[in-house]
Amino acid sequence: MVQNRSASLDRVFQALSHHARRGMLRELSGGERKITELAAPYRMSFPAASKHVRVLEQARLVRRRIVGREHRCRLRAQPLQDVARWTEQFQAIWEARFSKLDELLEEMKSHAAQAPDAAIPPTQDPSPANQRTHRQRKEKP
Amino acid sequence: MNDGLKVSTPSDTTIVMTRWFDAPRALVFQAMTDPSKIRRWIFAPQGWEMSVCEYDARVGGRFRWAWKNEQADPAMVISGEVKEVVPNQRIVHTETMELASCGALGTLLATLDLNESRGRTHMTLTLAFDSKEARDGALQSGMEHGMEAGYQQLDQMLAGSK
Repeated sequence: MVQNRSASLDRVFQALSHHARRGMLRELSGGERKITELAAPYRMSFPAASKHVRVLEQARLVRRRIVGREHRCRLRAQPLQDVARWTEQFQAIWEARFSKLDELLEEMKSHAAQAPDAAIPPTQDPSPANQRTHRQRKEKP
Repeated sequence: MNDGLKVSTPSDTTIVMTRWFDAPRALVFQAMTDPSKIRRWIFAPQGWEMSVCEYDARVGGRFRWAWKNEQADPAMVISGEVKEVVPNQRIVHTETMELASCGALGTLLATLDLNESRGRTHMTLTLAFDSKEARDGALQSGMEHGMEAGYQQLDQMLAGSK
């Protein structure tokens, strides 16, 4: 469930990462618009604008309906309300950082195994945990 | 996912994050206080580049992290002063975040505690704010990070247009 939510967050982030799509959303906040109207400020072709609208649809930010030959778009506010769950967002961002930190720690551990003296920062730590770390290092061949 | 990050808000003015790391705490401490290591994991949104990363892990030492993006340099600055250090175990610093888009977001006190067990490290990171408003603002600032610059404005705009 958390993963589903973060996947949909990813889509929202991705959708909002393009200035034209942000502009389209801004325009749509004024009400329903035709794709040609959304495309106009960007001098975009219909297919190009339609592609951007599709990204917005996939993020569930926009709903498109076809009336005759016209594609009309309307804003969907729900995903933006969903992503406004502050704590979850906050958690997602920090978890992304800490996953990076995991990778870094793996790298530091393998360096520590290769060059023990460079691994431990030059601190005076009298705590048992750190002494244990030093002992472990000495035990290594 | 026992090791995954847990975020809680035990009081109106705090955010507490806990997580396990599969490394001795000396390494975790180093990764969190050595600028060349910090910049490897404290990343911002795509398109943001870390332009300054300084951390002086001594009592009274200052730290400064800054990012730039296409719109602004710096787009965001996080800076503060180290208040307490117990090597490999604990570090306390003040922290002020400033965003080009909305100025300073207030100051908080961050306390990092590391406990080692069987070669693994349990982290508790406590962020203590002056007020509930400041705390909520920081939670909201997650959005700012994740969404790049435009999102918060968009959200306000949409809230206004309902």
